[in-house]
Amino acid sequence: MTGSREALPDVDGSGLTLGDRAAIALTEYRAGNHQALGDLVREATPLLWHTVRAQGVDRDAADDVVQSTWVALVRHAETIAEPKAVLKWLLVTAKRAAWEAVRKHRDDEKRRTELPDDSPEHPMALPANDPPPDAEVLRDERDRILWTSLQKLPGRCQELLRLVSLADRPDYRYISAAIGMPMGSIGSTRGRCLAKLRTILDEQGDFSWT
Amino acid sequence: MDLTPEPNMDDEAVGRLSFDPKGALDAEDGAVLTRLARAVGAVDPVPEGLVERSLFAITLAGLEAELMEAVYLDAPLAGVRGAAAAARADDAAPAEAKTITFTHDSLTVMITLSPSAGGKVRIDGWAAPAAGLDVELHRPGVDVLTTASDEDGRFAFDSVERGRASLVVRRTDGGGGAVSTPIIEL
Repeated sequence: MTGSREALPDVDGSGLTLGDRAAIALTEYRAGNHQALGDLVREATPLLWHTVRAQGVDRDAADDVVQSTWVALVRHAETIAEPKAVLKWLLVTAKRAAWEAVRKHRDDEKRRTELPDDSPEHPMALPANDPPPDAEVLRDERDRILWTSLQKLPGRCQELLRLVSLADRPDYRYISAAIGMPMGSIGSTRGRCLAKLRTILDEQGDFSWT
Repeated sequence: MDLTPEPNMDDEAVGRLSFDPKGALDAEDGAVLTRLARAVGAVDPVPEGLVERSLFAITLAGLEAELMEAVYLDAPLAGVRGAAAAARADDAAPAEAKTITFTHDSLTVMITLSPSAGGKVRIDGWAAPAAGLDVELHRPGVDVLTTASDEDGRFAFDSVERGRASLVVRRTDGGGGAVSTPIIEL
């Protein structure tokens, strides 16, 4: 590893977060070393996938959006001003590309829609998103309790918690900022969404989650 | 949206909780989030191979080659696919030869794919104008194969595994930039 790793902060002295590794990967890539970026793609693709899927993009389109997000990172590698913000950059890029995919899908749907259905008396229904993910695959009782408890939260809280679960704790602020729920200076504090989830879980009974 | 902890919860309600809603993240939070991450992955799994497809796309993008255009003669060509379509595993392997033409500025590259022994694919190519060209075959997760065109602009890869691939063409004398084909399904 080159000297660039020393130049980046070690958060809380507790090791590097995904956000730090993203910054390192970009710095290394600029220096001509591609290994760290490959590692980042392996590690952060699930986070990008679920970010895109949370916008209502179907699986095939989401597959393309995630790939094009990574390609965009490489194409913009020299122009991203602040390597430390690369994780947020990835999330925002993925989210915008997802919106674009949804908009395009809706335009295509409109073109296929017969005119009489598209009148003020009969407003065209927006295309439904994929049906809610099926919790049937969750076999463990506590997993199912956790999943159904999550569904009781406001949609944006659900999205935030699904995404932060896939990253490292100090990265929460990047994720919350990227999905438009800035946490301000609260880095290590349990946010309201997590507090709400814990409250609902408490009501479900006396489970240990550790 | 304000994400600070609920400020108006009365002390009695807080007292019944197993945690301090205004407190720092604790081990239970960590455990809940770890379990949630597993559930998220199980309910809506990341597609198999998406990481490899992303890595391949990054590699091609990093070559900074100009993208050639596939020429559609009649129907859209079965060999040229969107990334997601190419990813679907149930695509039937082509049983007979097919020809695809790519262009960029004045360069035209035509390739014919035909079955070879062991379920592999033979690629016969022809480039015009027939300047000396280096032709690279890029595929996900394997080393790049390189060949050179002959004086008539012909080149071939005898026997390659089926799957996604892209050809990158450069002039042997280093003039001009590299050009690449869209990702094709061999």
